[in-house]
Amino acid sequence: MEQIFFYIFAILAVASAIAVVAAKNPVHSAVYLIICFLQVAALFILLRAPFLAAAQVFIYVGAVMVLFLFAVLVLNVGKERLGEQIHHQSVIVIPAVILLLLMMGILVAKGRLTAPMGAFTEKALEKNTEVIGKMLFSKYLFPFEVVSVLLLIALIGAVALVMKEKGSQD
Amino acid sequence: MIELAWLIPMLPFTGAVINGFFGSRMPKKTVGLIACLVMAGAFIISSSLFIKILSLPVDQRSIEVTYFTWIASGAFHLDIGFLIDPLSTLMIMVVTGVGLLIHIYSVGYMHEDKGFWRYFAYLNLFVFFMLMLVLGGNYLVMFLGWEGVGLCSFLLIGFWYEKKSASDAGKKAFVVNRIGDFGFVLGLFLLFWTLSSHGVTSLDYKTVFASLHHIDTATITVITLLLFVGATGKSAQLPLYVWLPDAMEGPTPVSALIHAATMVTAGVYMIARNNALYAMAPISGEVVAVVGICTALFAATIGLVQNDIKKVLAYSTVSQLGYMFAAVGLGAYTAGVFHLMTHAFFKGLMFLGSGSVIHAMGGEQDMRKMGGLHKHMKITSVTFIIGALAIAGMPPFSGFWSKDEILWEAFEKGHTIIWAMGLLTAFLTAFYMFRQVFMTFTGECRADRHTQEHLHESPKIMTVPLIILAILAAAGGIVGISFFEEGTAAHHFLSPVFEQGGHAAANVGGHVAQNGEALHGGMEAILMAVSVAAGLCGIFLAGLLYYAPLKKYAPSFWRPEVIAAAFKPVYALLYNKYYVDEMYDHIIVNPIKRFCGWCLSFDLGIIDGIVNGAAWTTRLWAWLLHKFDIYIIDGVINSAATFTGYNSGFWRRLQTGRLQNYALIFVIGLLIIVGSALLG
Amino acid sequence: MLETLNINLTAILPEILLTALALCVMALDLIMRRGASRLVLGYLSIIGLLIILPVSCVSVIDGAFYGGMVKADGFSAYFNAIFIIAAIFTILISMDYLKRVNINKGEYYYIVLFATLGMMVMAASNDLVNLYVGLELMALSFYVLVAIRTASSKSVEAALKYFVLGALSSGVLLYGISFTYGVAGTTNFTEIAFQARRVTILDPYLLLAIVFIIVGFSFKIALFPFHLWSPDTYEGAPTPIAALLSVGSKAAAFAAFMRVFLVALPVYQPHWSRIFWGLSAATMLYGSVVAISQKNIVRMLAYSSIAHAGIIMIGFLVTSDMGAAGVMYYLLVYAFMNIGAFTVVTLFIRSSGRGESIRDYRGLAVRHPWLAFVMSIFLVSLAGIPPTGGFTAKFFILSSAINAQYYWLAVIGVVSTAISLFFYAKVIFYMYLSEPDALTEGTAGGAAGGADRDLPIMSSATCNIVLVAAAVGTVLLGIYPTPFIDMAIKAVKPFFLT
Repeated sequence: MEQIFFYIFAILAVASAIAVVAAKNPVHSAVYLIICFLQVAALFILLRAPFLAAAQVFIYVGAVMVLFLFAVLVLNVGKERLGEQIHHQSVIVIPAVILLLLMMGILVAKGRLTAPMGAFTEKALEKNTEVIGKMLFSKYLFPFEVVSVLLLIALIGAVALVMKEKGSQD
Repeated sequence: MIELAWLIPMLPFTGAVINGFFGSRMPKKTVGLIACLVMAGAFIISSSLFIKILSLPVDQRSIEVTYFTWIASGAFHLDIGFLIDPLSTLMIMVVTGVGLLIHIYSVGYMHEDKGFWRYFAYLNLFVFFMLMLVLGGNYLVMFLGWEGVGLCSFLLIGFWYEKKSASDAGKKAFVVNRIGDFGFVLGLFLLFWTLSSHGVTSLDYKTVFASLHHIDTATITVITLLLFVGATGKSAQLPLYVWLPDAMEGPTPVSALIHAATMVTAGVYMIARNNALYAMAPISGEVVAVVGICTALFAATIGLVQNDIKKVLAYSTVSQLGYMFAAVGLGAYTAGVFHLMTHAFFKGLMFLGSGSVIHAMGGEQDMRKMGGLHKHMKITSVTFIIGALAIAGMPPFSGFWSKDEILWEAFEKGHTIIWAMGLLTAFLTAFYMFRQVFMTFTGECRADRHTQEHLHESPKIMTVPLIILAILAAAGGIVGISFFEEGTAAHHFLSPVFEQGGHAAANVGGHVAQNGEALHGGMEAILMAVSVAAGLCGIFLAGLLYYAPLKKYAPSFWRPEVIAAAFKPVYALLYNKYYVDEMYDHIIVNPIKRFCGWCLSFDLGIIDGIVNGAAWTTRLWAWLLHKFDIYIIDGVINSAATFTGYNSGFWRRLQTGRLQNYALIFVIGLLIIVGSALLG
Repeated sequence: MLETLNINLTAILPEILLTALALCVMALDLIMRRGASRLVLGYLSIIGLLIILPVSCVSVIDGAFYGGMVKADGFSAYFNAIFIIAAIFTILISMDYLKRVNINKGEYYYIVLFATLGMMVMAASNDLVNLYVGLELMALSFYVLVAIRTASSKSVEAALKYFVLGALSSGVLLYGISFTYGVAGTTNFTEIAFQARRVTILDPYLLLAIVFIIVGFSFKIALFPFHLWSPDTYEGAPTPIAALLSVGSKAAAFAAFMRVFLVALPVYQPHWSRIFWGLSAATMLYGSVVAISQKNIVRMLAYSSIAHAGIIMIGFLVTSDMGAAGVMYYLLVYAFMNIGAFTVVTLFIRSSGRGESIRDYRGLAVRHPWLAFVMSIFLVSLAGIPPTGGFTAKFFILSSAINAQYYWLAVIGVVSTAISLFFYAKVIFYMYLSEPDALTEGTAGGAAGGADRDLPIMSSATCNIVLVAAAVGTVLLGIYPTPFIDMAIKAVKPFFLT
């Protein structure tokens, strides 16, 4: 049962990802990206990671994508232009993708790539959110603090780069 | 005192740094004072080191000092250190002593030059490298100094770089020296490569000399010959002597310091230092001696007919260097180094004297326009004549003792032909030196009225060094006077250094040495008399030609014009220096020039041409790759994009630009690595 | 829980101080008047960094801290010194540069500090997560810095390229990290090494992880074929930032490589060294060959930087203490010589964009003997000619390759060095042996016209400090390398004990 759901979500995720690239209208692309993110969130649930799934939906589908759509609308990117620029790479991309698939196929067929089961039992995964919270504030305390600096930079960077319009017009 | 040895080169270096960086903002007096003070400091330390070494027992006179390890990798390590022994202390005495006098002299000589600070910075830097060369305790430091003096020589010859002939001369010296250095480097590489295959990874002289038994005679012959190629470049021997006469374009004190007293003797020093190697390769020794004596004779014949006061001295330097090589080639290292020292005195003196003359003549260097200068500049003329007597080998001046020692060694070792050529050279030397003296200082002044009115003796700052050098040139031979059974004082002092070499040489030519024993005594006195007679003969003949009071006794055919006319082809050949420069131009320089012009006429001329010519194939390859970057990768990918037109601006660059292509290449690269890692 | 965390503030003192400094500068920037010159922020940053430099060198404590996340060993101290030196130089030349291009932004200074912080976190990390966070901190700061000349489309374009490709490489790196976690069940280097020693057979997923991690960091180092962003980005970025990118970012990525592969995955050396072998050889040859055909000096330096990265790679992949120490030493030397060269280049840059062509260096020796002289020192060192640091650094790397019997790689390294001599020497020849051409300017001068070509190349006091310091450092490291290489050997010794 789980396997069937996995395949459904996985196939949908890949398909919508391809659609993101293939769509000619940037708004369509954004919508496909939302679909893709939702599939990934679903995969997280299948992997017993409800916290990640929720975060995925809140942050990516909720916040990031809204910003994307804003940007696309504000910049008003013409749909043909975006399309043609990406498509002329297909000459190389398609063989490359075929090559990749071929390679993966060979590897799987030779038995070099398998899908072994993870080491974690169902029980261990029950308190997922709690474990993440505890880890963040204990073992991963240092990177957690660094991330706070990182976010600060992101904030400042965004402001610094946008502020220029004002500065140069003064 | 030994602890202070590092100060000897570092003092001039400090002077160079101070003058180089701040000299342009300091008054000339300060610049000159700094340059001379550091030299004086170096000289004082050198002298005390010399005395210290003298006070030590003979077997403890060789001291190795290691300052730090430059780079080390496993067993291999390169140290920065000095070897202080009689040879190196003698050399630093000469370098700092003569160097100091020349620095002082230069303060007067260069006082009007706008590049005053630059001049002293270069000069100090040169002394630094020269001291590194002679003090270095291993081949690395020697090589550092070797290259460094070459660089400084280039800078100093081309000091008046606005003058085309000067900068050309600088380049010529640089290029010719590169050719020699190429051989030198090859020799060094071969030496270490051979040694390292026997597990010897040190570059120290002592270690190298102690492990020479690993190398077979053929290899060591090749090594020593290659090293000698380097020496012919640096010390202006056949066939690479051509840069030295041109180098006279530099300021005269530079000629005195670099092209008479110090740098050109580096080759002699190098062979003397490597006496252990040369002792094992008798063929190389013969080659060195033959090349040396041929150079001596060859340069002396050119010197006969030159009219430029400095060119005569230049050729005589080449000729005297030939003597030194003849000596070291024959294994008479002490004699060679002894002549090196006395030559530094008298040739330094004569160059400075000629500088004084040129100074007084307002830059004129042609001897045909001089004459009668003795009346106007007594000190210069007397000191110059002392120098000339020394070089002509007149007793009791220094040149007599050292030259005689070389000739005696040649004769004693059974090389009669070399002895005869040396004798002939001595005769020629006396002739052209006194030709110069008579043309310059005696007779009527042939300069124009304006110059004549301004004739004056040089200031004290220039004449005092002349007097000191004259005393040295006159009395420097004292150390050479035989006063003990075991040899001369210099011999006694230097012999421990050459023990290894002398020992091996003695084995090679054992029977000759035995013959020598028997000949000793009476024979030596006879030979002395012969060489003095040759010198006197030269002086007398020169006097008949050029000295007015003697001229009237000369037969009618004995006139410069008559002789020149009678031997016109020979005269022309000598006057044009055997056409060697022209020959080199035709055989080597021009074809290269043509080749470069042919393949890269659009670029920067010779040097860029040589570089780029060698780089040509690489460039082609680079160009192809670059085009590959632009056209093939982009082209394939962008084939559609080229049609979208070139609407300028940010969007175009962003979108038809290469961002996506970069990403694609990135991913392809990733796939290739994944594929090769997993499948391979 | 807390005991196992092993909290130790001294261990991360340099990081704390640097953060505090950056925040101070930021706060000061906020309270300053709008039009006021931000130079004072630059001075403050430099003074702060000068204080942190000795602190970072002495705060060496055994053990891992914060749950095994952070190390404060000699290795991180050595790299911290490189980063801080590079940052000081960068800020010094930036102060001059920003005046030149009319930018008065306080953000610039503290973002440089944050980028340095990111590098320090990378070099000190003992865990993949920590490493990644440090990398992102550094990368994000650089995206902003490259784009700081918002008025110039070139700068923005460069930033965008760097950003998009950087995001791609981060994705690849993260992919590799998650594979590692999947196989080893941990992200901690020490624990990964422990796991790897237990299981002798290489899991294909771990091999994939290795490849992805290699590729992720290769982007930062600009190894062929992941280098494509670097010439464009260097050209478009503010020149001091290009200098910091080529020195700091590269050094940080090498530190990360060494931590990951020498500490966590030494067991699989035969596998990953093969990949690095290919990357290194291709990078060396590609970088030095393509650099020859460059006409723009910044692009030339970018390709030369690529070639250098290839050579540095040798020292790392031979997996010996000598080689690893050689890498650290090389990076130290590189900080001096490359920033020095970039400083001279910066002095040539005008807001009009002229002065980037190599032809503009014709006859520099006549007009600006001092600049020509120091530039020659840097180029000679970059070319690897004694007695400069570039030679000793190359010597250590190549001799370690020979000791480890990587003969072919050593040969390729020597060949690449020989090729690189051409383009370095070309600049020197231009400076010394060629006349400054008056009107034949055909490359970049077209738009700029003749009016501004006589503008003097000003060398400010701050730039002169950098030039002198960098030149002295370059020569000193060439003449007296022993203490520095010994320090590096001591720092990497622990990596090879197990």
